[in-house]
Amino acid sequence: MSVRLQHIKHHIFAANQCAEMTTPLLSPLTTHVLNTGRGIPAANMNLSLYLLDATSPSWNLLRTGATNDDGRCPGLITREAFIPGVYKMRFETGQYWEALGETCFYPHVEIVFTIIDASQKFHIPLLLSRFSYSTYRGS
Amino acid sequence: MTSKTFSPLTTHVLNTADGVPGAHMALSLHRLDPHMVLWNLLTIGTTDKDGRCSELITREAFTAGMYKIRFETGQYWETLGQTCFYPYVEIVFTIIDQDQTFHLPLLLSRFSYSTYRGS
Repeated sequence: MSVRLQHIKHHIFAANQCAEMTTPLLSPLTTHVLNTGRGIPAANMNLSLYLLDATSPSWNLLRTGATNDDGRCPGLITREAFIPGVYKMRFETGQYWEALGETCFYPHVEIVFTIIDASQKFHIPLLLSRFSYSTYRGS
Repeated sequence: MTSKTFSPLTTHVLNTADGVPGAHMALSLHRLDPHMVLWNLLTIGTTDKDGRCSELITREAFTAGMYKIRFETGQYWETLGQTCFYPYVEIVFTIIDQDQTFHLPLLLSRFSYSTYRGS
């Protein structure tokens, strides 16, 4: 592939990953995925964020993205859009391990959590191996 | 169950904040119907005072496929007079070899949880 095409390919790939939003304000909701099986950040894992519409009830998809090289996904949601409610973050764990040539016991991981005070910050890491995972409210 | 065989799928809920078993927590087991892309409810139950729930499924019913165990964590903490960050926890897992046994613990506090394939 020519150098020029390689540059274009890298730009397209990077655009699919989570990027900082144009505003300097950071997302009040962040995540960090770690591959504890290999001791590395879980890069290029697809994820999605949903908000529960309690009236239907159904999940409204707010955002899709993928983790960057550090296993993070900046710009998940704006401060304005982050209202109290029940949210769900879904991580495509099976797909992630398949890309590494391995199977995973968990085809996906969904973490459902309740936000009461949306003025706070919420850091929701996922520590993942092929046969285990954990999450917690961090900072 | 009338037979002496144990469920090939077991769980154990631990309340890691208080250092006690997660007793009397409601839970349910579901299997994904691949044709309908729906979850079929197989079993509902409650953990005992040791945080365990026996008889989740019989060996015969335990076919290869995708399963989900849902734990009513919000309800559990509410009964203890506290809130929980997680209204419920669903663990979705794939069974390829149904001849094995699978132990899926849930270690839970108000603001964290973990699970793993145990024995």
